[in-house]
Amino acid sequence: MKNPYVPFPVRIESVLVETEDKNIKTFTLSFIHREDEEQFIYRPGQFAELTVFGKGEAPFGMASSPTQPGFLEFSISKAGVVTNELHQMSEGEVLGIRGPLGNGYPLETSKGKNVLIIGGGFGFSTLRALTNYMLEETHRKEFKQITLIYGARRPGFLLYKSDLEAWQNRSDIQVFLTVDQDDTGWRGKVGFVPAVTREVAPDAENTITFVCGPPAMITHTLPVLKELGFQKERIFLSLEMRMKCGIGKCGRCNIGSKYVCQDGPVFSYAEILNLTSDDVF
Amino acid sequence: MKDKTIRKKDVSDFLDRLIQSNRVYAPVMENGYFLFKTIKSGSEVNLDYQNAKMSPKDILFPQSEALFRYQLEKRDVEIDVPVQDEPNPVIFGIRPCDVRGIQALNNVFSKNPKDPYFEARRSKTVIVGLGCKETHNGCFCTTVGGGPCTDDGSDLFLIDIGDEYLIRVISDKGEDLLKEEDLMDAEAQKITAAAEVAEKAQEALGPCVEVQGSKDILTRRFNDPVWGAIAEKCIGCGVCTYLCPTCHCFDICDEALYKEGKRIRIWDSCQYPLFTRLASGLNPRDTVEKRIRQRIMHKFAYFPDEQGMLCTGCGRCVIECPVNLDIREALKVLLRTGAAQ
Amino acid sequence: MDALINRIREIARGLLREGKVDVVIGFEEGTIPFHSRPCFVRSPDEADRLIWNNFCGNNLAKYVVKRKERMAIVAKGCDTRALLELIKEKQVMRDQIYIIGVPCQGMIDRVRVEAELRSRPVRTVEVREATFLITGKDFEKELDIKEFLYPSCQECIRKNPVIFDELAGPEVEESVGKTYPDIESFEGLSDEERWQYFSHEMSRCIRCYACRNACPLCYCTECFVDASNPQWIGKSVTESDTALFHIMRAFHLAGRCVECGACERSCPLGIDIRKLNRKLSKDVHVLFNYEAGISLDEVAPLATYRPDDSEAFILEP
Repeated sequence: MKNPYVPFPVRIESVLVETEDKNIKTFTLSFIHREDEEQFIYRPGQFAELTVFGKGEAPFGMASSPTQPGFLEFSISKAGVVTNELHQMSEGEVLGIRGPLGNGYPLETSKGKNVLIIGGGFGFSTLRALTNYMLEETHRKEFKQITLIYGARRPGFLLYKSDLEAWQNRSDIQVFLTVDQDDTGWRGKVGFVPAVTREVAPDAENTITFVCGPPAMITHTLPVLKELGFQKERIFLSLEMRMKCGIGKCGRCNIGSKYVCQDGPVFSYAEILNLTSDDVF
Repeated sequence: MKDKTIRKKDVSDFLDRLIQSNRVYAPVMENGYFLFKTIKSGSEVNLDYQNAKMSPKDILFPQSEALFRYQLEKRDVEIDVPVQDEPNPVIFGIRPCDVRGIQALNNVFSKNPKDPYFEARRSKTVIVGLGCKETHNGCFCTTVGGGPCTDDGSDLFLIDIGDEYLIRVISDKGEDLLKEEDLMDAEAQKITAAAEVAEKAQEALGPCVEVQGSKDILTRRFNDPVWGAIAEKCIGCGVCTYLCPTCHCFDICDEALYKEGKRIRIWDSCQYPLFTRLASGLNPRDTVEKRIRQRIMHKFAYFPDEQGMLCTGCGRCVIECPVNLDIREALKVLLRTGAAQ
Repeated sequence: MDALINRIREIARGLLREGKVDVVIGFEEGTIPFHSRPCFVRSPDEADRLIWNNFCGNNLAKYVVKRKERMAIVAKGCDTRALLELIKEKQVMRDQIYIIGVPCQGMIDRVRVEAELRSRPVRTVEVREATFLITGKDFEKELDIKEFLYPSCQECIRKNPVIFDELAGPEVEESVGKTYPDIESFEGLSDEERWQYFSHEMSRCIRCYACRNACPLCYCTECFVDASNPQWIGKSVTESDTALFHIMRAFHLAGRCVECGACERSCPLGIDIRKLNRKLSKDVHVLFNYEAGISLDEVAPLATYRPDDSEAFILEP
């Protein structure tokens, strides 16, 4: 039985600066030992605990889709001890990874339905994994109409620019990008995500919605969705709580009778309202 | 499995024999209070004790332990998990409330994925419980489904019947521990005497509040301002969580020097303000009120269905809280049935 | 004692009735023997909850920091010293607190009583004139109050409030002088003996931080033990890191500690936490002729620069 506290060794293959302030970087990692990769089978919406040996561990949502084997991607914002150290690391350096952890997005229940994906800023990470997963050739036909709304403060803060461009060139997904503050050359929308949602959201009928972003965006988008008739049971969010062990033991992410690291981090809006919760966003 | 008896004056020698091939933990008096310590001789033990100041949970769940050591190399990292090679632990003279504490910890750590560190220790540990003839003024085990002489969870269970202890042999592990011993089978009247002691102790400690239905009531009262009044005097220290037999929250951090180091796990407490603070600065439980509420709800509302109450009524939090924040009193206030929302 | 209690209640009732304060912070009966505990009274009818006895060991000054309400606070000698320091450090405004001063006869050390009774469970405690009677299931013991007061109370030379708006009872006789006999005798021990004592006390510590949290002068929103960048102190319970915690905390309190003993009273294991603080208080007294929490006019020596400050430690290594 694998010891759930021991990480797999991984190597940094490349580092990409995503945002104009350089505070978010996407790290592409590969497993140093082949047999470890075979044990790491994940779904979009899951997360992993990344180890910077000597500094500690921190949880990050998987930004890559399992449909792209051979490497893992994580987008990391410089915030604390582990992430600050990570931002100073480069190609070839060794990290550790524990996972996959968490429940992932509910793909089964989304089959045969329309999909609305709403992301804001840095929270877009796992939604990008979800989008790539759904757009993959063998999966695309399982879902009906896919609409994506993604917003950031400014164009320079949008992540995954090459993915965004590729998606915009596709006919099987509708992409709406928006920024709070535009810039020269910006041709997308200008406005907050909740407002854009009100404007372009598809019919609520037969649609599953995935929302992920900063607390302010979520608290303002949910009422809009409610107004437009989206059911609470069909809106899924990824809850962020301080996590440590990732395996439901250390108690830190306990909320109501759930552990965010095991029963979540993906919960339906209805479930979240049922949890006797503190202010989680 | 037949019950046995052992004379109180023979216990010390019995322990000396146990020590030959086991690592025995028993209550030892030091600095005026009792703690569970590894003993080198049976004479160190004093079973004429009420309870240890700290619960013996640290025998199975140490306050700090290394999860693994690592050595960074050029293109890889070598990780070594410490091997548990401790000779068979025996926890001797542990009270029923603390045994239930171990069961509660077991429920958490043996859930998938199993915690290998706890498992390795727990699977080898033999528990020799000791029934209580007397309770202290913080005890409330009968309120939470336990009792001064309940023996579930123990492998052997001792009940004081005067000059002797009756030994209930409950599990194979317990029986194994006694196989080298030449103990008398318990006579019928001694078994009865023990049962009477147990019954008397149980009756003497009536429940202080009805906790059935606590899950629903506490959930309904989640936003009740009464939590503020309960929590107001709390100074946020963490004594309650550290001394509690069921509290198990922990932190994980790395300690390193250049390219080598170790990852350790250490006890933590939901009562500390930084426990839930995110790197972004957002803190879902940023007030004492919210943290006290979390502790009480975690014990009495969130997990009773599957894990039983995460409280064994040992009373340590009541006795040792610097400001006498009494959890029984809090429950009485919160579980008042028919109270307004 | 009864006259004292009645006066405290009377004052509290009056202040609340006249709307002069929003809350009276005082002591009420605990749920178990040896514990009286902090309580917050907000209406005149509740004033009868307030009591005073030999078990009021907490330092209520803890509760005034960051509180927006207008408060009255029942404060014994050492508590008023803490309040004075907090006023000096601008953690509370003088006009925000109405200090009900209580001349104090000392508080009973329950951990030492527990040791005396070899941890046998206590049923009742009755405090008499100079003794207190403890009963258990099958024993009765009478102990001398003075003998079982906290060490901080036995060494106390500030039984009477140093700052107050009103006294709830007549002043009591003070012990004279501040000679730190306990520290002097400890300093007389050899290095080895002192190290043994210190090691022994530190090895018992479980890093629960009750001492820090009970201290009214420890009000930092982020304590140095929690800092992660840089990390000043290891988190695991090793003798070295534990000793470091106590040493650093003592230094942070040097010249600020009012020796109320709240730290050692909150320690579940009865560790001698105060010794280091006492030593530094003595040093501050000797070097700067200063005692914390006595006068609003005196400046804190470690927070004040004077051009004629001694530079001996730099110039004469």
